[in-house]
Amino acid sequence: MHKQIEAIIENIEKVMIGKREVAELSVVALLAGGHVLLEDVPGVGKTMMVRALAKSVSAQFKRIQFTPDLLPSDVIGVSVYNPKTLQFEFRPGPILGNIILADEINRTSPKTQSALLESMEEASVTIDGETLQITKPFFVMATQNPIEYEGTYPLPEAQLDRFLLKIKMGYPTAQEEVEVLRRTQHNEAIHQLSPVISIEDLLELQEEVKSVYVDDSVKSYIVQIARATRSIQHIYLGVSPRASIALMKASQAYAKMQDRDFVKPDDVQYLAPFVFGHRIILKPEARYEGITTDGILGNIIEKAVVPIKRYAQE
Amino acid sequence: MKRATFKYIELSIYYVLIFFILREWLVPIMQLTGTGHMNLILIFIALSLVISLFKIHFIISWIVKGLYISWFIVRVYSDTAPFSVEGFHFLTHDLWTNFSSVILADWTSITDSFRTFLFFVLIWMLIYLVHHWITIRMNIFYFLVITVFFIAILDTFTRYDGSFAIVKVVLLGLIMTSFLYVKRLFKQAGIQKDWKKYILLLMPIILLIGLTSSVAIFLPKASPQWPDPVPFIKSATGQGEVGEGTTVSKVGYGDDDETLGGSFVADDQVVFLAEAETKQYWRVETKDVYTSKGWEKSDYFLNEFSVFEQGDRIVHSLPIGPEDQTKTSLIKVVYPYDFIIHPYGLKSVYTEEPNVELFMDSNSEKITPVINTEETVLSNYVVEYSKPTYLYSNLKKPTEEIDSFIRERYLQLPNSLPDRVVELANQIIKGKETPYDQARAIEDYFGMNGFRYDTENVAIPSKDQDYVDQFLFDTKVGYCDNFSSSMVVMLRSIGIPARWVKGFAGGEVIDRNGDVSTFEITNNDAHSWVEAYIPNVGWVNFEPTIGFTNTRSIDYDLEKTETDQDETLTVDEDTEPEETVEKETGSEETTAHKGSKLFEIVTKSLTQGKYIYLSILILILILILVLLKYRRKWIPKLFMKFKGNQPLDESSLEKHYLQLLKILELQGIKRKEGQTLTAFAKEVDQKFETNDMTQFTLAYEEFVYGEQLSETDFAKLKECWEYLINRGSG
Repeated sequence: MHKQIEAIIENIEKVMIGKREVAELSVVALLAGGHVLLEDVPGVGKTMMVRALAKSVSAQFKRIQFTPDLLPSDVIGVSVYNPKTLQFEFRPGPILGNIILADEINRTSPKTQSALLESMEEASVTIDGETLQITKPFFVMATQNPIEYEGTYPLPEAQLDRFLLKIKMGYPTAQEEVEVLRRTQHNEAIHQLSPVISIEDLLELQEEVKSVYVDDSVKSYIVQIARATRSIQHIYLGVSPRASIALMKASQAYAKMQDRDFVKPDDVQYLAPFVFGHRIILKPEARYEGITTDGILGNIIEKAVVPIKRYAQE
Repeated sequence: MKRATFKYIELSIYYVLIFFILREWLVPIMQLTGTGHMNLILIFIALSLVISLFKIHFIISWIVKGLYISWFIVRVYSDTAPFSVEGFHFLTHDLWTNFSSVILADWTSITDSFRTFLFFVLIWMLIYLVHHWITIRMNIFYFLVITVFFIAILDTFTRYDGSFAIVKVVLLGLIMTSFLYVKRLFKQAGIQKDWKKYILLLMPIILLIGLTSSVAIFLPKASPQWPDPVPFIKSATGQGEVGEGTTVSKVGYGDDDETLGGSFVADDQVVFLAEAETKQYWRVETKDVYTSKGWEKSDYFLNEFSVFEQGDRIVHSLPIGPEDQTKTSLIKVVYPYDFIIHPYGLKSVYTEEPNVELFMDSNSEKITPVINTEETVLSNYVVEYSKPTYLYSNLKKPTEEIDSFIRERYLQLPNSLPDRVVELANQIIKGKETPYDQARAIEDYFGMNGFRYDTENVAIPSKDQDYVDQFLFDTKVGYCDNFSSSMVVMLRSIGIPARWVKGFAGGEVIDRNGDVSTFEITNNDAHSWVEAYIPNVGWVNFEPTIGFTNTRSIDYDLEKTETDQDETLTVDEDTEPEETVEKETGSEETTAHKGSKLFEIVTKSLTQGKYIYLSILILILILILVLLKYRRKWIPKLFMKFKGNQPLDESSLEKHYLQLLKILELQGIKRKEGQTLTAFAKEVDQKFETNDMTQFTLAYEEFVYGEQLSETDFAKLKECWEYLINRGSG
C-alpha cells in the first residue's frame, strides 16, 4: 500500500472503528478528485468520518448543515453592500473551502441542492457574473438519510451523477461499538488527530493518480460493464459515459492506493458497485420484486469477460 | 549454493525417515513369506533413495538399479559368480523362460527369481511415488495411512506381531508429517528457508511427539473393547468352526457337511450339461453319520474303494430297473468337480478317455474317475442306467426283517438328540402301518406345518443345539439340508433306516432335440434329499423339501380302490419339479493348497481361449479411451516434455500463462470468465497450499495490464510455473 495514503487511512481509523473500507473509499474519491455521497441513518459516524479525513490532510474543513429553509446564497456566498466602501463585497459561502461536509443534503429544497451540486461539478461559484475558482483540493462529502425517511427531497438522478462514489456506512458490530464507547468515554479522539499529509503532497498525489496506466483491455472491460447496465431488462436507465469515466478514475486512484502503477480488472470489479450503484435507476416493477442494484451489478460483473490477454487492436 | 545444500540436507532427513517406514513394510513380508536377504533389499531401498535424492539422470539410475538387481538375483539364485559369463547366461535364460511363461499365462511356472525381480520393481516404483509425494505434493499422509493399515491387518490375521511396528510407524509418520507441514508453510508464505526458523518451528512439535508417545507407551492400556473379529470373519468365509449366529456361504457342491446351516448366496456357475430324456435328480454320494450339527461319512467298510473299469456293471446299494428300460445320458463336465454324477438305477459309465478306472468309495458310493492312481476330471462321459420301478404291493407289504448291518449303520443317532424330535416323529406317523406309509407321512409333514423355504436368514445351531431340533421347533425356516436332515433323523428315530443323499436337482432345459433334452445344471442346483430303506424293496428316494418334487416310479399293481387318493397324485412320474432356487451349501475351497488347483484351471482356460486374449486387448483399448477422456490432463505434460521447455521470458510469458490456465482447467480448476486472475490465483493457491500461482499471476498481470514489465525474476517465475504444471498434471 502507498505509504502516504496508508498514513491517512490509519489516521482516520484512530477515530473510526471498523470502518476501514469506508475510509479507503473516501480517500479513493479524494485522490480521484471526485465527491462522495454517504448514505445511512443518523448517528453512525458519517460526520466524524469527514472530519477525521479533513483533519488528516490539514485542509480547510467547512460544514453545511442543510435544512429545508436553507438558501443557495447560504451555500455559495453572497455579495453584501458595504456602506463604508460603497461597494458590494463578496462574502464567500462555506462551499469555498477544501473539504466540505454537506450534511443531510436531501433535507433541503431542490434549489439549494442544485446550487451545491453545480459548484461541485464546476469547482467554481458564479455570483453576480463573477466566477470564482474554488481552491484545490476540493472535496465534498455529502451525507443523506435514506430517502424513505420523511421530510426529504430526493436528489434527482442527474445530480446524483455528480458524486463519484456512493458509500453506505452500516452499523458497527457489537465488539466495535463497545470499542467506540470506550474511546469516547473521556474525550473525543477526533481532537487529538494531527495532519499526516500536506496539501501540496495531496495535490501531487492527485496528479500522480492521473498518470496511473490504464490498459485498453481494462478500458474495454469498464465499457463492457457500463454497456451491460444499459441493456438489462430490470434497469430503467443505465449508466452514462460519464459514469465510465468515473469508474476509470476511481480505479486509478484505487490502484495508486495499492501502490501500483496500472489498473487491474480487480480494481474495476471492486469499485463498480460504488461508482455505478447510484447511477442506475431500476424499473418500479423490479423494485417491487425485491431486485436491488447491487444484485444486478453483481450479476453483470460476474458475467463480464475479464481480459486476460494484452489488448489487441482489431 | 547454501540454498542447495539446505535442500539436500532437508531431503535426506525425509529419506532417512522414509527408509525406516519402508523397513516396517519389509519386515512382515520377509517374515511371513520366509524370504531371506533382507539386508540386501534394504540396501537396494537405500540405493534408490540416494539416487532419487541427487536427481541422478534416469539412464544412470536405471543402469545402477538394474545391475544391482541382476547381481542380487545371480548371487541368491544361482551358483555362478555374479557378473561372470555363466551368471549372465543364467540371467538371460531365466528371463527368457519367465517371459515365455508370462506370455503363455503359465503363472505357476514362474520362478522365484522372476518374482524377486518383480518385487524389486515394485520397491522401485514405490520409491518413485514417495519421492513425488514429498517433493511435489509435500504430503505423505495417505502413504502413512496405508502403512498403518497394512501392518494392522497383518498383525490381526497373521502370526506377525506388529504392535511395536505400528508405534514406530506412527512416530516416524508424525515427525515426517510435521516436517512436511513446516515445508509447506514456508512454501505457502514464500519464505526463504533457513535453519533457525526451521528448527524453531519444528522443535516444539517434535518434543511434543516424543513426550506424548512416551507417555502413551507407558500408560496402562485397557483390554480390547470388542471380541477378536478374526474367528467371525473366518467363519463367514467358510473356514470357521461352529459358532453362534448366521454366516453366509456360496451355494455349490461341497465336501464338508459337518456343520450345516447358515445363509448362502446364489451362484450361477454351470456345473454339468446332461443330455437325457427326462428331468431327474443326479446323485453324487450319501452320508450316514448324523452328528447333531451335520453329516459325516462313516468308515464302516474298511476297504475304502471298489474299482471298476469303464463299461463294468457298477455294484451299488440301489435297485436297478429292468433291462429293456435301459437308457443312456451324456454328461458334459463344465465345472471340474472330480466325481461322476448319475441318475437312479446306474448300471455303468463310459468315457472316451482310455485307462480310466472308476473308484467308488464304499462308504459314500461316491464315484471318482482315476487315471494311473491320480484323480482326474473327465470332460464328458456317458452313464447307462435303468430306473427302478417299485411295485406298490411290495411297498405296502408288512415289514420283513431288515439286514442287521443296514440297521446298525442307518439307524445311528447322536445321544444328544432331544426327545421331542422322537416324539414328533411318532406323532406324525400315528395311524400309518407300513414303513412306506410312515415315510410318506414324514415326507408330507413339512408341506403343511408352517415350514418355509428360504436361503437367507437360516440359523446355525449354537454349541448346545441340535441342527434338526432347531429347524423343526425353533426356526422352521431353511433349505434342502434342513428338510432332508430332519426327515432322515425322524425316520431313524422311528426305526426306519435312512440316509442323507447329496447331488444335483434336474436343472433347466436349454436345448431339445427330439426326445432328448439338454439340461443345464448349475451350482444353484446342488441339492440334498433322503433315501429310506423300505423292506422288500430296498432304498427308495424321498423329497421332503418344500417346492421340490422327486420322481419315483411306482407300479400300481394293486386294485385302484386300495390306493388312497393323494398318493396317486403325488407319485406321478415325470412331475416337473417346480424348483425355486436350489441349495446345498458347500464351502468354496479357499485354502492355499487347494488354491493351486484352481490356479491350474484358470491357466488352462486362459491357454484354451484366444478370445480371452482378444477381450483383454479390447479391454485395454477401452481403458486407453477412457483415460484419454477423463485423464486428459496428462497430455499437456507429456506434450510439453516432448516439445522441450522453452525459456520463460517476456515474449513467452503470455503463452506460458495461458497454457497453465488450460492445464488447470483440465485438472478441474476452471477460471470463470468473470473471475479476475488474482481471485483465480488465490483459489488455486488455496487448493495447492502454495503461493506460486499468486506470484506468477502478479507478474503476468503487470505484463497484461501494466504499461511495461518491471524488473522480473524470470528464474523464480519459471520455478513457480514448473511446480504448478506438475501439480496441475496430477
